[in-house]
Amino acid sequence: MANALEIKELKKEYGSKAAVNKISFDVEEDSLFALLGVNGAGKTTTIKMLTGLANPTSGDAMIFGHSIVNEKELVKTFVNLSPQETSIAPNLSVRENLEFMAGIYGMDKEKTARKTQEMIEMFSLQEVEKDKAKTLSGGWQRKVSIAMALITEPKLLFLDEPTLGLDVLARRELWNVIEKLKKEVTIVLTTHYMEEVEALADKIAIMVSGEVKAIGTLNELIEQTGTKNLEEAFVSIAGKN
Amino acid sequence: MKGLIFCKRTVKEILRDPLSYIFCLGFPIIMLIIMTIVNESIPKQANMTVFQIQNLAPGIAYFGMTFVMLFACIQVSKDRNTALIMRLHASPMKSYDFILGYTLSVIIIALLQLAVTFLASYIVAIVVKGELSIPGMFMSMLSLIPSAIMFISFGMIFGTLVSEKAAPGVCSIIISVVGMIGGIWMDIDNMKGAILNISKWLPFYHGVKASRLMLAGEYSEMIKPLAITIIFMIATYVLAIVIMRIKLNKDTR
Repeated sequence: MANALEIKELKKEYGSKAAVNKISFDVEEDSLFALLGVNGAGKTTTIKMLTGLANPTSGDAMIFGHSIVNEKELVKTFVNLSPQETSIAPNLSVRENLEFMAGIYGMDKEKTARKTQEMIEMFSLQEVEKDKAKTLSGGWQRKVSIAMALITEPKLLFLDEPTLGLDVLARRELWNVIEKLKKEVTIVLTTHYMEEVEALADKIAIMVSGEVKAIGTLNELIEQTGTKNLEEAFVSIAGKN
Repeated sequence: MKGLIFCKRTVKEILRDPLSYIFCLGFPIIMLIIMTIVNESIPKQANMTVFQIQNLAPGIAYFGMTFVMLFACIQVSKDRNTALIMRLHASPMKSYDFILGYTLSVIIIALLQLAVTFLASYIVAIVVKGELSIPGMFMSMLSLIPSAIMFISFGMIFGTLVSEKAAPGVCSIIISVVGMIGGIWMDIDNMKGAILNISKWLPFYHGVKASRLMLAGEYSEMIKPLAITIIFMIATYVLAIVIMRIKLNKDTR
Protein backbone atom coordinates (compact mmCIF):
# COMPACT_ATOMS: atom_id res chain seq x y z
CA MET A 1 0.00 0.00 0.00
CA ALA A 2 1.24 3.54 -0.80
CA ASN A 3 2.24 5.97 1.91
CA ALA A 4 0.00 8.94 2.70
CA LEU A 5 2.66 10.50 4.89
CA GLU A 6 6.44 10.20 4.91
CA ILE A 7 8.23 12.08 7.66
CA LYS A 8 11.96 12.61 7.24
CA GLU A 9 14.15 13.88 10.08
CA LEU A 10 11.52 16.43 11.12
CA LYS A 11 12.71 18.80 13.83
CA LYS A 12 11.19 21.74 15.67
CA GLU A 13 13.13 23.89 18.07
CA TYR A 14 11.79 26.62 20.33
CA GLY A 15 14.85 28.56 21.37
CA SER A 16 17.44 25.97 22.34
CA LYS A 17 14.84 23.32 23.23
CA ALA A 18 13.89 20.68 20.65
CA ALA A 19 10.15 20.03 20.97
CA VAL A 20 10.40 17.48 18.15
CA ASN A 21 13.82 15.99 17.46
CA LYS A 22 14.47 14.53 14.00
CA ILE A 23 11.56 12.12 13.86
CA SER A 24 11.02 9.84 10.86
CA PHE A 25 8.15 7.46 10.09
CA ASP A 26 5.62 6.62 7.39
CA VAL A 27 1.85 6.34 7.48
CA GLU A 28 0.11 4.04 5.02
CA GLU A 29 -2.84 5.26 2.97
CA ASP A 30 -6.34 4.51 4.39
CA SER A 31 -5.02 3.48 7.78
CA LEU A 32 -5.31 4.91 11.26
CA PHE A 33 -1.99 5.80 12.80
CA ALA A 34 -1.87 6.58 16.52
CA LEU A 35 0.70 8.90 18.00
CA LEU A 36 1.14 8.25 21.71
CA GLY A 37 3.14 10.09 24.30
CA VAL A 38 2.93 11.75 27.68
CA ASN A 39 2.20 15.48 27.90
CA GLY A 40 4.97 17.49 26.26
CA ALA A 41 6.21 14.52 24.21
CA GLY A 42 5.88 16.52 20.98
CA LYS A 43 2.66 15.05 19.52
CA THR A 44 0.82 18.34 19.05
CA THR A 45 3.95 20.10 17.75
CA THR A 46 4.32 17.32 15.16
CA ILE A 47 0.70 17.79 14.08
CA LYS A 48 1.17 21.57 13.94
CA MET A 49 4.09 21.16 11.55
CA LEU A 50 2.23 18.68 9.37
CA THR A 51 -0.82 20.96 9.08
CA GLY A 52 1.12 24.16 8.31
CA LEU A 53 0.57 25.72 11.75
CA ALA A 54 4.28 25.69 12.55
CA ASN A 55 7.31 25.70 10.31
CA PRO A 56 9.85 22.90 10.88
CA THR A 57 13.31 23.99 11.99
CA SER A 58 14.76 21.27 9.75
CA GLY A 59 13.68 18.13 7.94
CA ASP A 60 10.58 17.67 5.84
CA ALA A 61 7.47 15.55 5.42
CA MET A 62 5.79 14.47 2.22
CA ILE A 63 2.01 14.25 2.28
CA PHE A 64 0.77 12.36 -0.77
CA GLY A 65 4.08 13.28 -2.40
CA HIS A 66 3.95 16.99 -1.56
CA SER A 67 6.41 18.72 0.76
CA ILE A 68 5.09 20.52 3.84
CA VAL A 69 8.05 22.90 3.54
CA ASN A 70 8.01 23.82 -0.15
CA GLU A 71 4.34 23.19 -0.98
CA LYS A 72 2.69 24.25 2.27
CA GLU A 73 -0.24 26.07 0.67
CA LEU A 74 -1.03 23.13 -1.64
CA VAL A 75 -0.80 20.64 1.22
CA LYS A 76 -3.29 22.73 3.22
CA THR A 77 -5.95 22.07 0.59
CA PHE A 78 -6.06 18.30 1.20
CA VAL A 79 -5.08 18.06 4.85
CA ASN A 80 -7.27 19.00 7.81
CA LEU A 81 -7.35 18.69 11.55
CA SER A 82 -9.68 18.58 14.49
CA PRO A 83 -7.68 20.40 17.17
CA GLN A 84 -7.36 19.39 20.80
CA GLU A 85 -9.63 22.20 21.96
CA THR A 86 -13.13 22.44 20.58
CA SER A 87 -12.79 24.54 17.47
CA ILE A 88 -16.19 25.73 16.40
CA ALA A 89 -17.78 29.13 15.85
CA PRO A 90 -19.84 29.38 19.07
CA ASN A 91 -22.68 31.60 17.85
CA LEU A 92 -23.19 29.73 14.58
CA SER A 93 -25.53 26.78 14.33
CA VAL A 94 -24.16 23.31 13.61
CA ARG A 95 -25.31 23.56 9.98
CA GLU A 96 -23.79 27.05 9.63
CA ASN A 97 -20.47 25.83 11.05
CA LEU A 98 -20.33 23.09 8.44
CA GLU A 99 -21.31 25.47 5.63
CA PHE A 100 -18.70 27.96 6.82
CA MET A 101 -15.89 25.41 6.60
CA ALA A 102 -17.04 24.17 3.18
CA GLY A 103 -17.01 27.78 1.95
CA ILE A 104 -13.52 28.43 3.30
CA TYR A 105 -12.28 25.45 1.26
CA GLY A 106 -13.83 26.91 -1.89
CA MET A 107 -16.90 24.71 -2.37
CA ASP A 108 -19.75 26.19 -4.41
CA LYS A 109 -23.30 26.54 -3.06
CA GLU A 110 -24.58 23.29 -4.47
CA LYS A 111 -21.64 21.23 -3.22
CA THR A 112 -21.71 22.97 0.16
CA ALA A 113 -25.39 22.06 0.63
CA ARG A 114 -24.78 18.45 -0.45
CA LYS A 115 -21.69 17.93 1.71
CA THR A 116 -23.33 19.61 4.72
CA GLN A 117 -26.29 17.26 4.53
CA GLU A 118 -23.92 14.33 4.09
CA MET A 119 -21.99 15.27 7.27
CA ILE A 120 -25.19 15.83 9.25
CA GLU A 121 -26.32 12.34 8.34
CA MET A 122 -22.91 10.70 8.81
CA PHE A 123 -22.50 12.15 12.32
CA SER A 124 -26.23 11.90 13.20
CA LEU A 125 -26.41 15.63 13.83
CA GLN A 126 -30.05 16.05 12.72
CA GLU A 127 -31.43 16.79 16.18
CA VAL A 128 -28.90 19.57 16.85
CA GLU A 129 -28.31 20.98 13.36
CA LYS A 130 -30.14 24.24 14.12
CA ASP A 131 -28.71 24.67 17.62
CA LYS A 132 -25.97 27.18 18.29
CA ALA A 133 -22.68 25.31 18.67
CA LYS A 134 -21.97 26.86 22.07
CA THR A 135 -25.11 25.30 23.54
CA LEU A 136 -24.05 21.73 22.69
CA SER A 137 -22.52 19.23 25.12
CA GLY A 138 -18.84 18.33 24.85
CA GLY A 139 -19.60 15.11 22.96
CA TRP A 140 -21.71 16.88 20.33
CA GLN A 141 -19.14 19.65 19.97
CA ARG A 142 -16.38 17.09 19.28
CA LYS A 143 -18.54 15.41 16.65
CA VAL A 144 -19.22 18.77 15.00
CA SER A 145 -15.52 19.61 15.17
CA ILE A 146 -14.58 16.38 13.36
CA ALA A 147 -17.40 16.87 10.85
CA MET A 148 -16.04 20.37 10.15
CA ALA A 149 -12.67 18.84 9.32
CA LEU A 150 -14.14 16.06 7.22
CA ILE A 151 -16.49 18.24 5.16
CA THR A 152 -13.45 19.69 3.40
CA GLU A 153 -12.74 16.23 1.92
CA PRO A 154 -9.21 15.86 3.34
CA LYS A 155 -7.01 13.02 2.15
CA LEU A 156 -5.23 13.07 5.50
CA LEU A 157 -7.04 13.93 8.73
CA PHE A 158 -5.37 14.73 12.05
CA LEU A 159 -7.40 14.13 15.19
CA ASP A 160 -5.66 15.66 18.18
CA GLU A 161 -7.04 14.02 21.33
CA PRO A 162 -10.58 13.87 19.93
CA THR A 163 -12.14 12.19 22.97
CA LEU A 164 -10.41 14.24 25.66
CA GLY A 165 -12.81 15.04 28.50
CA LEU A 166 -15.71 13.01 27.11
CA ASP A 167 -17.72 10.54 29.14
CA VAL A 168 -17.56 6.83 28.33
CA LEU A 169 -20.71 6.78 26.19
CA ALA A 170 -19.74 9.86 24.17
CA ARG A 171 -16.26 8.39 23.71
CA ARG A 172 -17.61 5.06 22.47
CA GLU A 173 -19.94 6.87 20.06
CA LEU A 174 -17.04 8.85 18.68
CA TRP A 175 -14.99 5.67 18.27
CA ASN A 176 -17.75 4.29 16.05
CA VAL A 177 -17.58 7.45 13.95
CA ILE A 178 -13.78 7.25 13.67
CA GLU A 179 -13.99 3.53 12.81
CA LYS A 180 -16.28 4.42 9.88
CA LEU A 181 -13.97 7.26 8.77
CA LYS A 182 -11.00 4.89 8.51
CA LYS A 183 -12.47 3.50 5.31
CA GLU A 184 -12.56 6.91 3.65
CA VAL A 185 -9.56 8.87 4.85
CA THR A 186 -6.10 8.34 6.30
CA ILE A 187 -6.14 9.35 9.97
CA VAL A 188 -3.39 10.34 12.36
CA LEU A 189 -4.70 10.28 15.91
CA THR A 190 -3.17 11.46 19.15
CA THR A 191 -4.63 10.34 22.44
CA HIS A 192 -3.85 9.44 26.03
CA TYR A 193 -6.41 6.63 26.10
CA MET A 194 -4.75 3.26 25.46
CA GLU A 195 -8.05 1.44 24.93
CA GLU A 196 -8.83 3.94 22.17
CA VAL A 197 -5.62 3.03 20.39
CA GLU A 198 -6.23 -0.69 20.89
CA ALA A 199 -9.69 -0.36 19.41
CA LEU A 200 -8.86 1.87 16.46
CA ALA A 201 -5.19 1.98 15.44
CA ASP A 202 -3.54 0.01 12.67
CA LYS A 203 -0.09 1.24 13.66
CA ILE A 204 1.27 3.06 16.70
CA ALA A 205 4.23 5.34 17.38
CA ILE A 206 5.31 6.22 20.90
CA MET A 207 6.95 9.62 21.34
CA VAL A 208 9.12 10.50 24.31
CA SER A 209 10.78 13.91 24.75
CA GLY A 210 10.35 14.83 21.09
CA GLU A 211 11.64 11.53 19.72
CA VAL A 212 9.92 8.43 18.36
CA LYS A 213 11.03 5.64 20.68
CA ALA A 214 8.98 2.79 19.25
CA ILE A 215 6.81 2.12 16.24
CA GLY A 216 4.74 -0.85 15.13
CA THR A 217 1.40 -2.58 15.32
CA LEU A 218 -0.21 -3.28 18.68
CA ASN A 219 1.06 -6.84 18.71
CA GLU A 220 4.55 -5.82 17.61
CA LEU A 221 4.85 -3.30 20.46
CA ILE A 222 3.62 -5.83 23.01
CA GLU A 223 6.05 -8.38 21.63
CA GLN A 224 8.98 -5.93 21.56
CA THR A 225 8.49 -5.03 25.21
CA GLY A 226 7.49 -8.47 26.44
CA THR A 227 4.38 -7.06 28.10
CA LYS A 228 0.71 -8.07 28.20
CA ASN A 229 -1.04 -5.05 26.79
CA LEU A 230 -0.50 -1.61 25.26
CA GLU A 231 -0.60 0.25 28.55
CA GLU A 232 2.22 -1.87 29.94
CA ALA A 233 4.13 -1.59 26.67
CA PHE A 234 3.70 2.19 26.76
CA VAL A 235 4.87 2.44 30.38
CA SER A 236 7.82 0.20 29.55
CA ILE A 237 8.90 2.43 26.64
CA ALA A 238 7.96 5.90 27.95
CA GLY A 239 8.98 5.11 31.53
CA LYS A 240 12.56 4.31 30.58
CA ASN A 241 13.24 7.96 29.79
CA MET B 1 -14.13 34.94 -1.63
CA LYS B 2 -12.74 33.31 1.54
CA GLY B 3 -12.60 36.80 3.07
CA LEU B 4 -16.32 37.29 2.30
CA ILE B 5 -17.21 33.92 3.85
CA PHE B 6 -15.17 34.83 6.93
CA CYS B 7 -16.95 38.23 6.96
CA LYS B 8 -20.37 36.53 6.89
CA ARG B 9 -19.40 34.34 9.83
CA THR B 10 -18.06 37.32 11.82
CA VAL B 11 -21.22 39.38 11.19
CA LYS B 12 -23.32 36.49 12.49
CA GLU B 13 -21.07 36.08 15.54
CA ILE B 14 -21.36 39.79 16.39
CA LEU B 15 -25.09 40.15 15.69
CA ARG B 16 -25.89 37.08 17.80
CA ASP B 17 -24.12 38.53 20.81
CA PRO B 18 -26.65 40.53 22.89
CA LEU B 19 -23.90 42.94 23.97
CA SER B 20 -23.69 44.15 20.36
CA TYR B 21 -27.20 45.55 20.60
CA ILE B 22 -26.56 47.20 23.96
CA PHE B 23 -23.32 48.91 22.91
CA CYS B 24 -23.74 49.40 19.17
CA LEU B 25 -27.42 50.27 19.00
CA GLY B 26 -28.76 50.97 22.50
CA PHE B 27 -25.92 53.13 23.72
CA PRO B 28 -26.06 55.86 21.01
CA ILE B 29 -29.82 56.18 21.41
CA ILE B 30 -29.60 56.49 25.18
CA MET B 31 -26.83 59.09 24.89
CA LEU B 32 -28.88 60.99 22.35
CA ILE B 33 -31.89 61.14 24.64
CA ILE B 34 -29.86 62.07 27.73
CA MET B 35 -27.92 64.81 25.98
CA THR B 36 -31.08 66.19 24.40
CA ILE B 37 -32.61 66.46 27.87
CA VAL B 38 -29.40 68.16 29.06
CA ASN B 39 -29.60 70.58 26.15
CA GLU B 40 -33.21 71.44 26.97
CA SER B 41 -32.04 72.35 30.50
CA ILE B 42 -29.30 74.73 29.33
CA PRO B 43 -30.42 78.38 29.25
CA LYS B 44 -30.37 79.93 25.77
CA GLN B 45 -28.20 82.79 27.07
CA ALA B 46 -25.39 80.31 27.68
CA ASN B 47 -25.06 80.08 23.87
CA MET B 48 -23.96 76.47 24.13
CA THR B 49 -24.59 74.72 20.84
CA VAL B 50 -22.67 71.48 21.26
CA PHE B 51 -25.72 69.54 22.48
CA GLN B 52 -28.12 70.97 19.91
CA ILE B 53 -29.35 68.19 17.66
CA GLN B 54 -27.49 69.39 14.52
CA ASN B 55 -24.19 69.06 16.47
CA LEU B 56 -25.20 66.24 18.78
CA ALA B 57 -26.30 63.79 16.05
CA PRO B 58 -22.97 63.66 14.17
CA GLY B 59 -21.06 63.83 17.47
CA ILE B 60 -22.83 60.79 18.90
CA ALA B 61 -22.59 58.99 15.56
CA TYR B 62 -18.82 59.58 15.69
CA PHE B 63 -18.59 58.54 19.34
CA GLY B 64 -20.50 55.36 18.46
CA MET B 65 -17.64 54.44 16.12
CA THR B 66 -15.40 54.05 19.16
CA PHE B 67 -17.64 51.20 20.28
CA VAL B 68 -17.28 49.68 16.83
CA MET B 69 -13.53 49.76 17.55
CA LEU B 70 -14.20 47.94 20.81
CA PHE B 71 -16.15 45.26 18.94
CA ALA B 72 -13.45 44.79 16.32
CA CYS B 73 -10.85 44.56 19.10
CA ILE B 74 -12.81 42.04 21.18
CA GLN B 75 -13.67 39.92 18.13
CA VAL B 76 -10.06 39.72 16.93
CA SER B 77 -8.63 39.03 20.39
CA LYS B 78 -11.38 36.49 21.16
CA ASP B 79 -10.78 34.67 17.87
CA ARG B 80 -7.05 34.58 18.54
CA ASN B 81 -7.69 32.64 21.74
CA THR B 82 -9.93 30.00 20.18
CA ALA B 83 -9.00 26.77 18.47
CA LEU B 84 -11.27 27.84 15.59
CA ILE B 85 -8.60 30.28 14.46
CA MET B 86 -6.07 27.43 14.62
CA ARG B 87 -8.32 25.48 12.28
CA LEU B 88 -8.56 28.49 9.96
CA HIS B 89 -4.78 28.99 9.96
CA ALA B 90 -4.49 25.38 8.84
CA SER B 91 -6.95 26.09 6.00
CA PRO B 92 -6.07 27.74 2.68
CA MET B 93 -7.08 31.16 4.14
CA LYS B 94 -4.43 33.89 3.74
CA SER B 95 -3.74 36.84 6.02
CA TYR B 96 -5.57 39.21 3.63
CA ASP B 97 -8.71 37.02 3.90
CA PHE B 98 -8.70 37.57 7.67
CA ILE B 99 -8.12 41.33 7.30
CA LEU B 100 -10.84 41.70 4.65
CA GLY B 101 -13.24 39.56 6.65
CA TYR B 102 -12.83 41.56 9.85
CA THR B 103 -12.94 44.92 8.04
CA LEU B 104 -16.08 44.23 6.01
CA SER B 105 -17.99 42.62 8.86
CA VAL B 106 -17.36 45.45 11.28
CA ILE B 107 -18.09 48.09 8.59
CA ILE B 108 -21.52 46.49 8.19
CA ILE B 109 -22.07 46.85 11.95
CA ALA B 110 -20.78 50.46 11.79
CA LEU B 111 -23.18 51.37 8.95
CA LEU B 112 -26.05 49.80 10.83
CA GLN B 113 -25.15 51.80 13.91
CA LEU B 114 -24.86 55.04 11.91
CA ALA B 115 -28.25 54.45 10.31
CA VAL B 116 -29.90 53.79 13.69
CA THR B 117 -28.22 56.83 15.27
CA PHE B 118 -29.31 59.22 12.51
CA LEU B 119 -32.80 57.76 12.38
CA ALA B 120 -33.14 58.24 16.14
CA SER B 121 -31.69 61.76 15.77
CA TYR B 122 -34.28 62.60 13.11
CA ILE B 123 -37.08 61.57 15.47
CA VAL B 124 -35.51 63.60 18.30
CA ALA B 125 -35.18 66.60 15.94
CA ILE B 126 -38.91 66.43 15.18
CA VAL B 127 -39.73 66.25 18.91
CA VAL B 128 -37.49 69.18 19.92
CA LYS B 129 -38.27 71.11 16.73
CA GLY B 130 -34.65 71.05 15.63
CA GLU B 131 -33.42 71.00 12.08
CA LEU B 132 -31.97 67.91 10.44
CA SER B 133 -32.10 67.47 6.68
CA ILE B 134 -32.27 63.97 5.25
CA PRO B 135 -29.64 64.67 2.52
CA GLY B 136 -27.43 66.28 5.19
CA MET B 137 -27.69 63.20 7.40
CA PHE B 138 -26.85 60.97 4.45
CA MET B 139 -23.77 63.06 3.59
CA SER B 140 -22.73 63.14 7.23
CA MET B 141 -22.98 59.33 7.34
CA LEU B 142 -20.78 59.08 4.26
CA SER B 143 -18.18 61.37 5.83
CA LEU B 144 -18.05 59.10 8.88
CA ILE B 145 -17.04 56.02 6.88
CA PRO B 146 -13.30 56.92 6.84
CA SER B 147 -13.49 57.40 10.61
CA ALA B 148 -15.27 54.04 10.93
CA ILE B 149 -12.44 52.35 9.00
CA MET B 150 -9.88 54.15 11.16
CA PHE B 151 -11.53 52.92 14.36
CA ILE B 152 -11.86 49.39 12.95
CA SER B 153 -8.12 49.53 12.21
CA PHE B 154 -7.44 50.58 15.81
CA GLY B 155 -9.63 47.68 16.92
CA MET B 156 -7.74 45.20 14.74
CA ILE B 157 -4.37 46.52 15.96
CA PHE B 158 -5.29 46.28 19.65
CA GLY B 159 -7.08 42.96 19.12
CA THR B 160 -3.92 41.56 17.51
CA LEU B 161 -1.57 42.87 20.17
CA VAL B 162 -3.45 42.43 23.44
CA SER B 163 -5.44 39.66 25.10
CA GLU B 164 -9.22 39.41 25.21
CA LYS B 165 -9.14 40.53 28.85
CA ALA B 166 -6.96 43.57 28.16
CA ALA B 167 -8.84 44.61 25.00
CA PRO B 168 -11.70 46.57 26.64
CA GLY B 169 -9.23 48.43 28.87
CA VAL B 170 -7.03 49.53 26.00
CA CYS B 171 -10.04 50.59 23.94
CA SER B 172 -11.49 52.56 26.84
CA ILE B 173 -8.38 54.79 26.73
CA ILE B 174 -9.16 55.73 23.12
CA ILE B 175 -12.85 56.12 23.92
CA SER B 176 -12.01 58.54 26.74
CA VAL B 177 -9.58 60.50 24.56
CA VAL B 178 -12.17 60.79 21.78
CA GLY B 179 -14.78 61.96 24.26
CA MET B 180 -12.46 64.58 25.72
CA ILE B 181 -10.70 66.07 22.73
CA GLY B 182 -12.97 65.12 19.84
CA GLY B 183 -15.24 68.09 20.47
CA ILE B 184 -18.24 65.84 21.04
CA TRP B 185 -19.08 66.81 24.62
CA MET B 186 -17.41 70.24 24.70
CA ASP B 187 -16.79 73.11 22.31
CA ILE B 188 -13.08 72.71 21.60
CA ASP B 189 -12.97 75.65 19.14
CA ASN B 190 -13.91 78.09 21.90
CA MET B 191 -11.44 76.61 24.38
CA LYS B 192 -8.25 77.58 22.51
CA GLY B 193 -4.86 76.82 24.08
CA ALA B 194 -3.25 73.41 24.53
CA ILE B 195 -6.50 71.42 24.25
CA LEU B 196 -7.22 72.84 20.78
CA ASN B 197 -3.61 72.26 19.68
CA ILE B 198 -3.61 68.65 20.88
CA SER B 199 -7.00 68.08 19.24
CA LYS B 200 -5.72 69.32 15.92
CA TRP B 201 -2.81 66.88 16.00
CA LEU B 202 -5.17 63.94 16.39
CA PRO B 203 -7.82 62.70 13.94
CA PHE B 204 -10.86 62.76 16.24
CA TYR B 205 -11.54 66.51 16.24
CA HIS B 206 -11.30 66.60 12.43
CA GLY B 207 -13.57 63.59 12.01
CA VAL B 208 -16.28 65.12 14.20
CA LYS B 209 -15.90 68.49 12.48
CA ALA B 210 -16.17 66.96 8.99
CA SER B 211 -19.36 65.11 9.88
CA ARG B 212 -20.95 68.24 11.40
CA LEU B 213 -20.02 70.39 8.39
CA MET B 214 -21.43 67.73 6.06
CA LEU B 215 -24.69 67.72 7.97
CA ALA B 216 -24.83 71.51 7.71
CA GLY B 217 -24.13 71.36 3.96
CA GLU B 218 -20.94 73.39 4.30
CA TYR B 219 -19.03 71.33 1.79
CA SER B 220 -16.23 73.79 1.03
CA GLU B 221 -15.36 74.00 4.74
CA MET B 222 -15.29 70.27 5.25
CA ILE B 223 -12.61 69.42 2.66
CA LYS B 224 -9.67 69.97 5.04
CA PRO B 225 -10.99 68.02 8.06
CA LEU B 226 -12.20 65.22 5.80
CA ALA B 227 -8.83 65.05 4.02
CA ILE B 228 -7.05 64.80 7.41
CA THR B 229 -9.47 62.06 8.47
CA ILE B 230 -8.80 60.09 5.27
CA ILE B 231 -5.02 60.40 5.75
CA PHE B 232 -5.34 59.01 9.29
CA MET B 233 -7.64 56.25 8.00
CA ILE B 234 -5.07 55.16 5.40
CA ALA B 235 -2.21 55.29 7.92
CA THR B 236 -4.02 53.26 10.59
CA TYR B 237 -5.36 50.71 8.09
CA VAL B 238 -1.89 50.14 6.62
CA LEU B 239 -0.52 49.80 10.15
CA ALA B 240 -3.28 47.29 10.99
CA ILE B 241 -2.45 45.22 7.89
CA VAL B 242 1.28 45.23 8.70
CA ILE B 243 0.75 44.28 12.35
CA MET B 244 -1.77 41.54 11.59
CA ARG B 245 0.44 40.03 8.87
CA ILE B 246 3.49 40.06 11.12
CA LYS B 247 1.52 38.45 13.94
CA LEU B 248 -0.03 35.79 11.69
CA ASN B 249 3.39 34.90 10.25
CA LYS B 250 4.92 34.86 13.72
CA ASP B 251 2.25 32.46 14.95
CA THR B 252 3.30 29.86 12.37
CA ARG B 253 7.05 30.08 13.01
